[in-house]
Amino acid sequence: MWTSIGVSSVEVLRRVGCEVEFDKRQTCCAQPAFNTGYRDEARLVARRFIGIFEESEADVIVSPSGSCTAMVHHYPELFAGDSKWLPRAQSIAAKTHELSSFLVRVLKKEDVGASWNGRLTWHDACHGLRDLNIKSEPRALLRNVRGAEFVELEHADSCCGFGGTFSVKYPEISVAILDQKIEAIERAGVQAVVSGDASCLMQIGGRLSRKGSKVRVMHLAELLNESSQQ
Amino acid sequence: MSNSAREAILGSIRTHLAASPPVDDQPVTPANPVIPSKSDPINQFKESLESVSGHCLVTTDAADVLSRILTDLNAQRIAYSDNPPNAHDIFGYEVGISTVQAAIAETGTLVLDSACERHRLVSLVPPVHIAIVNASSIVETLSDALTLLQKKEISPAITFITGPSRTADIELTLAIGVHGPQELYVIVDGSK
Amino acid sequence: MNHLSSETFKENAKAALADVQLRGALKNATSLFGERRKEAAASLPNWEDLRTQARAIKDEVLLHLDRYLEEFVRNAESRGATVHWARDAAEANSIICGLATERAARIVVKSKSMTTEETHLNDALEAAGIQVVETDLGEYIIQLAHEPPSHIIAPAIHKTRQQIGELFTAELGMPPTDNVDQMTSTARAKLRDRFAAADVGISGVNFAIAETGTIVIVENEGNIRLTTSLPRLHIAVMGIEKVIPRFSDLDVFLKLLPRSGTGQRLTTYQSFITGTKRASTDEGPDELHIVLLDNGRSRMLAHPVTRQSLACIRCGACLNACPVYQQVGGHAYGSVYPGPIGAVITPQLMGIQKAAQLPYASSLCGACREVCPVKIDIPRLLLHLRGEISPRKGSRAERLAFKIWARVMTSPSLYRLSSVAGRILQRVMPISRAWTNGRDLRPIESKSFHDLYE
Repeated sequence: MWTSIGVSSVEVLRRVGCEVEFDKRQTCCAQPAFNTGYRDEARLVARRFIGIFEESEADVIVSPSGSCTAMVHHYPELFAGDSKWLPRAQSIAAKTHELSSFLVRVLKKEDVGASWNGRLTWHDACHGLRDLNIKSEPRALLRNVRGAEFVELEHADSCCGFGGTFSVKYPEISVAILDQKIEAIERAGVQAVVSGDASCLMQIGGRLSRKGSKVRVMHLAELLNESSQQ
Repeated sequence: MSNSAREAILGSIRTHLAASPPVDDQPVTPANPVIPSKSDPINQFKESLESVSGHCLVTTDAADVLSRILTDLNAQRIAYSDNPPNAHDIFGYEVGISTVQAAIAETGTLVLDSACERHRLVSLVPPVHIAIVNASSIVETLSDALTLLQKKEISPAITFITGPSRTADIELTLAIGVHGPQELYVIVDGSK
Repeated sequence: MNHLSSETFKENAKAALADVQLRGALKNATSLFGERRKEAAASLPNWEDLRTQARAIKDEVLLHLDRYLEEFVRNAESRGATVHWARDAAEANSIICGLATERAARIVVKSKSMTTEETHLNDALEAAGIQVVETDLGEYIIQLAHEPPSHIIAPAIHKTRQQIGELFTAELGMPPTDNVDQMTSTARAKLRDRFAAADVGISGVNFAIAETGTIVIVENEGNIRLTTSLPRLHIAVMGIEKVIPRFSDLDVFLKLLPRSGTGQRLTTYQSFITGTKRASTDEGPDELHIVLLDNGRSRMLAHPVTRQSLACIRCGACLNACPVYQQVGGHAYGSVYPGPIGAVITPQLMGIQKAAQLPYASSLCGACREVCPVKIDIPRLLLHLRGEISPRKGSRAERLAFKIWARVMTSPSLYRLSSVAGRILQRVMPISRAWTNGRDLRPIESKSFHDLYE
C-alpha cells in the first residue's frame, strides 16, 4: 500500500552491504485477523508466511514495520500446543527483525549516509517500543542524518490512536487520542514526523492533511534513503 | 448456608485450577534490597516525617518539649493513651498523646500496637496527635518493622502512621487534615 | 442511581468526548497521577525486581488459592473473626444486610470498597431501611451526586473543584467556594457525627495474610480507621484473590501499591487487623465479620492468561496510563472497574454478553502493561478475550470479511486482484466514513511494491 517504504528499505539495506531478496508470494503477517480475535484465520495466513520464508536461504527476515515484526514474534503463541507448527513458528520468529533494530543492533550501523535538510521528530510506534524495545536505535539513526535537526517530541511514546480495527470501530476515541499527538507535533515546530510503522504514519498523516498542516510524515526507511540530491 | 457456599467456592477454585494447563511453580526470588543509607536513623526519620508535613522534635528532655507544645497550642482537653476517653467523649478533645512501639526511619512512620497501648482513638480523633518516640526504637526499614512485629503473636490491631491525615480526592489537590489529625508532632526522645 | 451500561460503551464514550469539563479534569488528573507514579518508581532502584517478586508471589497464591484461603480463614477465625463465604453479589449483600438487621443497625459507615460497589451493596442496605454513609471524601462526593465511581483510587476524579463546590453548596449548605481546604473541612465536619452514631462499619481489604489471619487496609484520610474502630460491628468485604501468603510479603506490596497508586512512599495509615479485641474493655469493635466474595473470580483460574487478572492489587496505574481512559474517563465503561483492568475483568466477572465491547476499546498500545506493579499482560488478555468473542459474537459481516480476507491472503492471484479492487473501491465509494470523518485517506497506489520489485 505504501510502496516507497518497501523500495526505500531495500535500497537502504543494499547500501549498507546486504543482499536483499523479496519473495513476491508473500502477502501479510496476519496481524489484522489476530488483533481482531480471528485466530483461525490468522493461523491460515501465518502458515503461509512461515512456509514461504522457510524456503528462503536468507540469514534474516527484515521488516520495515514494528507491528508486523511483533506479530511474527507472536507466532509461537498462535501455534502453542501445535507440535508440528510451533517449532517452525519459533524458528521464523527468531530470525525476524525490525529495520532500525536490525541496522543498529545487528549490523552495528548508525550512519547509513543519509542527508535531509530540516527539522524533524520521531514518533515511537507502540509495538516497536513496547514489544520490541526499540527506542534508542531510530534516534541514533536519525541523529546521523546530515543536515537534519532532530527534536524530541513531547510524549513521543504515547499512542497515536490507530490500534488497527480500533481506528474504525471507535473512530471518535481514535481521533481524540490522535489529536494529543498532533498538538505535540505542532508545538514541536517540525517539518516532518518520522516513525517506524506505516499505520501510525497513515493515522498521523491523515489528520495532519485534514487540518491543512504542512508537516509531512515519513517512514524511517524513506528518510534514511534520502540523499543530498533533493 | 455458609458451609455450602464455602464448599462451592473451594470446589470451583479446585475445578478451575485443575482445568488449567500446567505451569511450573516458580520459586519466588526476593528482590535485591536497596542498600540502606548510612545516615543516622534519627536524622533520617526526621527528614522523612517532615517531608510528609509532620513536625519532628529531637530532644533529651521530652517532658519539657511536650509541655511547650501544649502551651503553644493552648490545649485544654488532652487525651492520653494510657487512660483514653470513651468513643463518644473523645470527639470533644483537642489533643491526643501516645507513645509508639517502634518507628521507621526510611518513611517517617510510627508503629502503634494495640496490645501495648490504647492508641486507636487517641491517635485518630483529636485534631492534634503528639507521639513520643524512644530514639532506640527507631528501625531502618519497613521490612525491619514487619519483622519486629512478627517476633510475637500479631496483636488485634496495629497501626502505621505516616504524617497527618490527607486527601487528594478533589482535583488531586493536597488537603491536610481530613478525618484523622490535622497536625502530627513527634517528639524523639534521645535520652536513653 | 443513573448508571451507564457497558453494553453501550461506544455511545457512552462519544458523550464523554463531547464533555469539555470532563476531558479537562481527566487530562489534569491522569497526567499528575502518571508523573507522580513515574517519580516514585524511579526513586526505587530495585523497582523492576519488586514487580517480578510481587507477581511471583501472586502467581504462587493463585495456583494454590484454595489452600491459602483455608489457611487465612483458619487463622482469622482462631483469633475471633467470623468468616462468611459468598458465591455471588446477591449472596454477599444478603449476608451483610442480615448481619446489620440482626443487630437492629440503623446507620452504616463505609470506607471506599470497589468490591462493595461491584455488588451494589449500598442499594441493598438502603432497601433494607438502613442509612449508608460513604466516608471516603471521593466516595462521599459521588454519593451526594448520585453517581458511580469513575476511578478505582479517586472516585470523583471526573469532577472539577467548581462542580464539587456547587454540589456541597446545594446539598450541604456550604457557603459558595472553590477552595479545596474549605470543602474538605465541610465534609469532615458533616461526617464526624456519622462515625459516632454508626452501628456498623463496612470496609474493604487490600491484603489478607494467610499466615496470620490479618487483614490490611491502607488509606490517607483516616476514615477507614474510624470506620473500623468506632462501630460495634466491623464487616470487611474482600474478593477471594486478595490473599497473600506471609506477613513478610507485605514489604513488597506496601512498596508497590502506594507508589503505583498515588506516587506516595506510603499512604498515611495502614491498619493491620487480626481478629477481635482480647478484652472487652479494649478499644475496637466487639465483632469482626469477614465476607469472602467469589462472583466469577474462581472461573478466571482456569487459564494462565486469565488467571493473571486476579493478581491485580487495585492501584489504578493502568487507568492513568491508558490513552482511551484518558480521553473518556471511567463512567463510559459502565463498570465499577474501568480502564484497562476493567476492560479485562468486567467481561469475565459480569459475563461477555454484558461487556462484549470493552476488550475492543483499546489500541493495544501496552502502556498499561508497562506501569502495572504486578506485570499483568493486559494486551495479551485483551487479545485472548477478543479471540473468545469475535468468532462467536462478531457481526456476520465482520466474520465473513475475515474469512474472505484469509482466502485472499493465502492466494497470490486473489491477492494481486485485491489491490486492484481496493483502488477501484477507494475511488468509487467512501471506504469507511469511520476513518474519513476525521482523517484523510491515503490513496492506494497504482503500482504495488510487488509490481515494482525486481
